[in-house]
Order: sequence, then C-alpha cells, then structure tokens
Amino acid sequence: MAPAPIFLAFASGDNDVRGKQLVISNINACQIVADAVRTTLGPRGMDKMMVDSNGKAVISNDGATIMKLLDVVHPAGKMLVDIAKSQDAEVGDGTTSVVLFAAEFLKQVKNFIEEGVHPQVIIKSFRKATELAVEKIKELAIKVRKDDVAGLRSVLERCASTTLSSKLLSANRDFFSKMAVDAVMVLDELLPLDMIGIKKITGGNLEDSLLVSGVAFKKAFSYAGFQMQPKHFKNPLISILNIELELKSEKENAEIRVENVEEYQKIVDAEWQILYDKLQSIHDSGAKVVLSKLPIGDVATQWFADRDMFCAGRIPIDDLKRIQKSCGGSMQTSAQKLTKEVLGTCGDFEERQVGGERYNFFTECPLTKACTLVLRGGTEQFIDEMERSLHDAIMIVRRALKHDAVVAGGGAIEMELSKYLRDFARTIPGKQQLIISAYARALECIPRQLCDNAGFDSTNILNELRQKHAQGAKWFGINVFTEGIADNYAACIWEPSLVKINALTAASEACCQILSVDELIKHSKGGNEYEAPDALPGRGRGRPG
Amino acid sequence: MAMHIGQAPGFSQMLSDGARYYSGLDETVVRSIEAVRELTRIVSTSYGPKGLNKMVVTHLGKMFITNDAATIIKELENEHPAVKLIIMASEMQEREIGDGTNFVLVFAGALLDQAEELLRMGISVPEITDGYELALGKALEFLDEVVCGTVTNVHDREQVQRAIKASITSKQNGTDEFLSKLITDACIALLPEKGKTFSVDNVRVIKIMGSGILASHVMNGMVFKRDIEGDVKKAADAKIAVYSCAVDINQTETKGTVLIKSAEELLQYSNREEDLLEKQIKAIAESGVKVVVSGGKMGDLALHFINKYKLLAVRLMSKFDIRRVANTVGAIVLSTLVPPTADVQGHCDLVYLDEIGDTSVVVFKQEKKEGAISTIVLRGATENSMDDVERAIDDGVNNFKAITKDNRLLPGAGATEVELSRLLTQYADTRPGLEQYAIKKFGAALDTFPKILAENAGVKAVEVLAKLHAAHLEGMKNIGFNIEEDAEAAIDAEKAGILDLYLTKASALRLAVGAAITLLRVNKIVMAKQAGGPKPPKQGAQDEDD
Repeated sequence: MAPAPIFLAFASGDNDVRGKQLVISNINACQIVADAVRTTLGPRGMDKMMVDSNGKAVISNDGATIMKLLDVVHPAGKMLVDIAKSQDAEVGDGTTSVVLFAAEFLKQVKNFIEEGVHPQVIIKSFRKATELAVEKIKELAIKVRKDDVAGLRSVLERCASTTLSSKLLSANRDFFSKMAVDAVMVLDELLPLDMIGIKKITGGNLEDSLLVSGVAFKKAFSYAGFQMQPKHFKNPLISILNIELELKSEKENAEIRVENVEEYQKIVDAEWQILYDKLQSIHDSGAKVVLSKLPIGDVATQWFADRDMFCAGRIPIDDLKRIQKSCGGSMQTSAQKLTKEVLGTCGDFEERQVGGERYNFFTECPLTKACTLVLRGGTEQFIDEMERSLHDAIMIVRRALKHDAVVAGGGAIEMELSKYLRDFARTIPGKQQLIISAYARALECIPRQLCDNAGFDSTNILNELRQKHAQGAKWFGINVFTEGIADNYAACIWEPSLVKINALTAASEACCQILSVDELIKHSKGGNEYEAPDALPGRGRGRPG
Repeated sequence: MAMHIGQAPGFSQMLSDGARYYSGLDETVVRSIEAVRELTRIVSTSYGPKGLNKMVVTHLGKMFITNDAATIIKELENEHPAVKLIIMASEMQEREIGDGTNFVLVFAGALLDQAEELLRMGISVPEITDGYELALGKALEFLDEVVCGTVTNVHDREQVQRAIKASITSKQNGTDEFLSKLITDACIALLPEKGKTFSVDNVRVIKIMGSGILASHVMNGMVFKRDIEGDVKKAADAKIAVYSCAVDINQTETKGTVLIKSAEELLQYSNREEDLLEKQIKAIAESGVKVVVSGGKMGDLALHFINKYKLLAVRLMSKFDIRRVANTVGAIVLSTLVPPTADVQGHCDLVYLDEIGDTSVVVFKQEKKEGAISTIVLRGATENSMDDVERAIDDGVNNFKAITKDNRLLPGAGATEVELSRLLTQYADTRPGLEQYAIKKFGAALDTFPKILAENAGVKAVEVLAKLHAAHLEGMKNIGFNIEEDAEAAIDAEKAGILDLYLTKASALRLAVGAAITLLRVNKIVMAKQAGGPKPPKQGAQDEDD
C-alpha cells in the first residue's frame, strides 16, 4: 500500500478507505511523521533545518519544535504533533522520544491488524502494558532526598546534563547544566518559568554566557540627557512605574475653553506643572532608578539627569515583573502618594557593555526570586536553538525538583521495561501475550535509535544489553562515547522518571486512538458554497446493493 | 374562436425549475431505506464497547475522533430528507436523555430494513406501521417485566457507579472504571437535597493538555484556564465580590467631553479621578472582600489600587462563567462597582493560582461537602482524546440525571433486546391479522443489537444470537452477550454489572419507532431547488457548553 501523503491533506480517493485499510494507512502516515524526527534523538542525533514561507530558517533538534514547524495536515499524523506538544507542556523534554514511541507501537502492531486482530483487543492490551510499565518505572525510580542539599543539587545537575547531552550544547553541558540548576534554584516554590528571563546577544563565545542572579535587560531607547545620568549605583531605591512621563493630554475627551490670553498661558503652565509634580513626587520618594512600562520623554530624562537619577522607559512588562520579584516594590500607576514602601531596591545597579549592546544589570537583590540568563553565541539561529535547549534543561530541573525521582537514561530504563514486560507477557494466555510482547519490543526503539544515530551496530549492542538486563543489571544502557554499554546509573546519565511516565502514557493514548478509528469522514474545504446536491444517495431502483 | 385548452401538464411541470419530485413506493420508501442503511452502516460499527471510532474532518479542518453517534451525525452534513428524519429522532434523544443516540439510529435503521422485506412480501405500509405501533406498545409493557434492579439511593456511590458504568464502557472501553468513578464523585458531590432537580450544567469539564487520562481528577468548585490579574495569588477563606462590569474608571456611554475652564481644574482633574477610583476600591476592600471577580476589563489604575489593598483579582471573559462562579461561591452578581453588602458577597474556602502541566489555572475551591458546582479536570495526551472523553463524561452525567428521574435498571449487553424480541415473537402468534408479520419483524429488528455487539467484537453473530435465545427461552432473562474474549459468549448481565437505564431505552424505542413509521408513511417527496448563495452562518450558543 502506498504510504499516505502527509504534507498534503488527502489525495483524492483516500476518502473511501475504511476499516482495516484505514487503520493501516494511518499507521503508515505516522511512520512518515516519525521519520522526520527519528534522527534527532540522542547525543549523536542530527539537527534539522526548516525554512518557513517567509524564508526564516530554524535549526533545531527539539522534537516539539520540529513537529510544530512541519505543519502536518494528515489527521493521524496530527495526533503525533499533539502528543509532542503535550509532552512539551507537561515535562518540557522527551518530545522526540514520545513521537518515536507512538510510531514504534503502531509499527509493531501493524502485522496484527493485517492479520485481523480486533483493534479493541490491541487497545486493551496496550492500556494494560502502559499501566504495568508506569508502575514499574515508579518502582525502579530512585528517590532524591530533598533535605540533602548537595545531593539534590548533583542529581539536578546530572538530569540537566543528560538532557543537554542530546542537544546543541552537548560539548558545554557541564557549564550549562550548572547554569540551569542555579537558575531554577533561585525561584520560589511555585517555580514560575517566566521568572527566568532569557536574553540573547549575538557574538562572543558560548562560555561567555552568564547567569545574572537578578535582572538584566537591554538598555531602553533614551532621549537626550541620558548620557548625563549616572550609570552605576550602590543600593539604589528603584521605582517601578506604569506612567507616561511626558507632556500629554490629561484626559482624552477633555476640552478646554478659555477666554483670554493670560488664562491660556496658565493652562500651558499647568500642563508643565502636572509633569513636574509627578517628577518631583518620584524624586521625593527617594528613588534613584526610575523604570517605566510607558515612555519617559526628554523633559523627564533631563530632569532626572539634573538630579543624578537614572531612568528608563518602555521596559517590557516581563522584565518589570522580574524586577518586582527580585527587588521588591510594586508597580505604580499613579505618581500620587509615592512612598518608600512601594519602592524596590537592589545591591548593585550598573549599565554595562555586553557584546555590541548596552545592558542594565540589577544584582545583589534582596528577594532574588528571579534571574536572567544572558546567552552568547555566534549566529542568531544558534542562539535560538541554545535557548530551546536551555529551556528543556530548565524544565527538566523543575520537574525533577517537583517529582523527585530519577531513572537512568541512555536506553537503560527502556531496556529494563522491555524485559519486564516480556517476562510478564509469558505469564498470560491469549492474544494479550502477543501484543504485550510487541509493546515490549517497541520500547527497544529508543536504544536502537540511539545506536543507529551514533553509527553503531544496533543489533549487536542491543543483544549485549538484553543479556545484561536478563542477568539483572537493570541500569545498563548505551554509552555513546565509548561505543559500548555501561551502567548508566553509575555513569550519572539520569532523567526524571516523570519524563518517561508521561512519554509512555501519551504515546500509548495516541496509539489507542489511532487504532480505534475505522472510518474517516471528510468534508471538502469551503463547503459553504452552494453545490448542487447529487441525486439522492443510494443506487436506486429499490434493489439493495 | 374556441379557447384552446392544452393538456394538463404533469405534476413535475407544475413545479418550479430545479425542483425534484419522487413518488411511489420504489422511489420514496425503498430509496429512503437505502439511504438510512448507509447511515446506520457508519454508526453501527461504533455501537458497544468494541465499537470503533470514526474520524470526522469538517470543512473547517477541525477533527473529531469519536464513537459518539450524536457527534458523528452532527458532523455528517447530511442532505437526504429521510436520513434527516432519523437524525432528528436521534437528536431528540440527545436532548431528552443525553445518551442512547446510537441505539435510536441503529434501531430505526433495523426497523426500516425489516419493513423493506415486508414490503417485498406484499404487505402494505399501513399494515406494517400498525404492527410496529402495536409492537411498540407491547414492548414498553414488557420492558417493565425485564427490569432487573433499581438504584435505591442516588447518594450511594457504589450503586450509581454500577448504573452508569455500562454507558461509559461503550464509549471509553478500558478507562471506564476510572471515568465512571470520576463522574459518580462529581455528580454525587453536588446532588441537592430531595425535591430539587439535578442540573447537568453544574458538572464542569476543563481540559488541560498533558499527562494521561488517569491523571484526571474531580474538584469541588471551579477551575478556569486564566491567570490572576494582580499580585495577590492566593486567598484562603475569602469573601468574594462578583461584578459583571469592568473594574476601571467609569466611562460614559454617551459621547461627552469634560469641559475644563481654568488651570486649577486641569491640575486637579486626574488627581480627583484617581481619588474616586481609590475610594471605590477601598470601600470594596473595607467590606471584607478579599477576592474580586470581574467580567470586564481591569484597568491599569484599578489594578494598582487592587494591589494596594491586597485584593485578589480574577477576570473572566464569559458571562456564563461569571454566573457559574457566582453560583459556586454563593454571590450575587453586581452590575456596578459598588461595595458589596454582606448578603451579596460570596464565600470561597480557597482561591489560588495553580499550574497544571504548563497551563496556569485559577482555582476556586470549596471544602464543604456539598457544593454547587464540581469540576472534572481532564488530562490527556491529545486534544481529540480529551474531546472524546469529555463527550463520554457528558453522557455519563446525563445518565446520572436520568437515574435521579427514574431509577429502574435493565440488563445490558443485549439481554433486554433479546428478551423483548422473545416476548414479542410470542405475542405476535396471538394476533390474527397481517400485523403479526410486522410484530415479528419488530422482534427481529431488536435482535440486531446483540448481533452488532457480536459483529463488532469479531464473533460469529448468528451463533451468539442462537445461544442467547436459547438461554432466554429457559427463563434466564438477564443473559447477554459477553464482550470479553476467551470466555463464555453468554453472560448474566445483571451479575456482571452491565446495566442500562430504563428511561434511556424506553425513550429510544419510542423515538426510533416514531421516526421509522413516519418515514414509511411517505409516498411522495418534493424537493424544491435549494436557494443559492452561501448559507447563513449558524447561530451558535455564546458559550460552548450552553
């Protein structure tokens, strides 16, 4: 059977497929989608370059990013995109694995479907197998003790490092895994992701990237007079505003009627007065650094410069929120009644040159519940991919911190689950046995792909692994760097168990759904135009068939 | 000159151009039956726990994967008038009971199939319809005899779960146990004292992508996929004010300009405006309220004061949501920004911002046992799977409602149908007229259900049917078809806990027979030419759930 086209909607005639044929054509479509990300898995995975319709190039090896950009239209293929997204949402990493799992599950049961096994039987066995696998992961997972600070830290670093090893930052993974853990450790107990700002500056070396435990943002657009302002403070008070510090009409729909010139002059003065009152009130509060979400005009800039204050307008709201989180204070929408209580503070404020850009740094903050990663790198695409990799690492650290259990990566957990399920399958009679064995076989797709991507002989290595696992060495996985197998738990290749649990659940859920469809009803696009309805359906003349 | 009178034109010439006209048994009834057969062919493979899903892609590109007949037919965009009739019957069932839609379609289809044979035998339409009507009356009588149990206490989790489980099994086989428990928990938690009705709308479902179905849970209170506006992210044991208006500086509806006459006025203008808003929000805070829910926008300035007075502010976009929140917390919705008096304030035990997956949600949680609204937080790997589970939950909740109306239960797994079929066949023999044939065919139509169940499970249908009939003849009236493999094909449905609701079945029978009879009685179809131009957009409900 010809594989269904995936980037097109439906080839004509595809609509008539139903029953077994449809299931199989859907399975084939999923294989094609999975092939697109297959080679990105693992430390030796390759990146993909995608160019969108605007000519913008994206280089990535993140499964979710690739799947999103693929723009799959095939309904079954779409489900794989969905589960990649879901994995991204729930865990943040393992997006390639989840797609591979789903595709492999389907591939393994394709034969059964062809032989006429009822999809519901397969679905039921899959659910059972997933349940068993998840329980097994929970049982195998090694708990992290939260009270042991140093221990916890090293676990987190290893999890981050495992993630990064399969990404662009593989070579610098020690450096960046430390950075990711540091960043997450700064946050409060909700671990809000948006409190980690990521700034990208092209140029410089990878290792020039730095973590600011505080906030940093690019110098805002400034007016004349800015040069006169001091650029460095120790322990300044910071006022965070949502006020436009410019001459402006007080009220949109206000109208002024005056009778004489003196009165007119007074009005003009009053407008200036309003602005000066605001500035004065800010100055009186003792603030040294003035940040606003809205523009700060040239009058205000010069006024502040005269009084040795620093100001910056049009600061993105996210940065301001981070400032609030780390320096304290609250955003003010009114310049009236500015008191010291609403101001924040930090130990050190400085404007510095980073690469080709000026950056404002707020460090040594009293609350430090936010931080900023300043990434450096050669090209724009490179930094973008760096950001995605770090994002994954940060997500993994967050998850590991919330659900404190880890398993060994590098195919070790998959091999162990595969062995467990295979053993289990032998104890049950009926078709379930076959299907659970197929599920077990499908789990081996991760170690196999790791080998294939690294150019190893996968059959050989898998055999060695199977032997090891049969002997009870449950943490043996692939060592990509020595082209052999190793105890990956001892080698500190760790992943949060949640990654695997979620990947298996999502993949099997998607498979069950794809398998359960036996008919496709599709309406042509733009169906709201009037089309002459064909003669009544039915072949007529009152004879069935 | 004599007036020339032309020959009377044929009927079709009297119609305007493009109109189509069919008459006679062949062109109308038989053709309609064929069209209906096409429909039932699609939905019958979705019937029962082993039924498979259909993938429906609408012309907008939205995809449904479901085995819920109501959803499939809604998306079918059918044009055939006869099929429409059957679909209407099924929609009626959806509205009345909320479950059993597929039963209506399949049964109506089966009745028509049988009727076609009768027509071939030369039995006239009135004889068939009379027979069907007679059979229906009898079937409903017999249904009382088939009842195998009742739900004596709708507060009893075990009983309720047992009663709704079969319905969930037929939609989400595999997770049925878990889902029926969720639904039972959600429904019983808000079942009011006796004498009040249970409203389906009070069980909310919120879908959050990620994790798996088994991570879903029930929560007493409401959950919204929104962020909290202000700085306060958590409030415990809080009084709540609910506003339908915006929390902001008052804007006039009428176009107006503020007239400023002197510089002093200009200087004070914005200060006064700020003071006014501050006073309003201060008054709200002073009334003891800790949480403000608004249906309109929250201005920057208002938010500033809300933060200043440490209020938790939530903005909800839908006015239905506003109403539901007010319901949950027991508040009265205020339409102007006035400080709430004690009697319009609501109360909630815990309002907080949470993260499920990576979605921020605002949770209004009530600790007390009986709440006004409960929410099922549904997790799933794909949008489609969550949509489908949501539909199953809907059906389950509707079933619960049906139980509160009528607590009688029937054996499922085709047992009821086989028993009815047996009784009707017996009854037919006592009838002297030609309707005897129709009644027998009615019974045969009922046999379709165990047949479909068996066919969908990949088992030989005829053998199963024979086995079931034999068992029923021996008086084991609860014997149904066992869907599980590697076991006896016959199973005692009552003991296995496969139960259908009396109400669902009775209503489905009535509607299906009604639709089939109406179709049979047609002997002419005139279809006017469809008016050209794009169809007017459908007037959908404002809220997806209403």
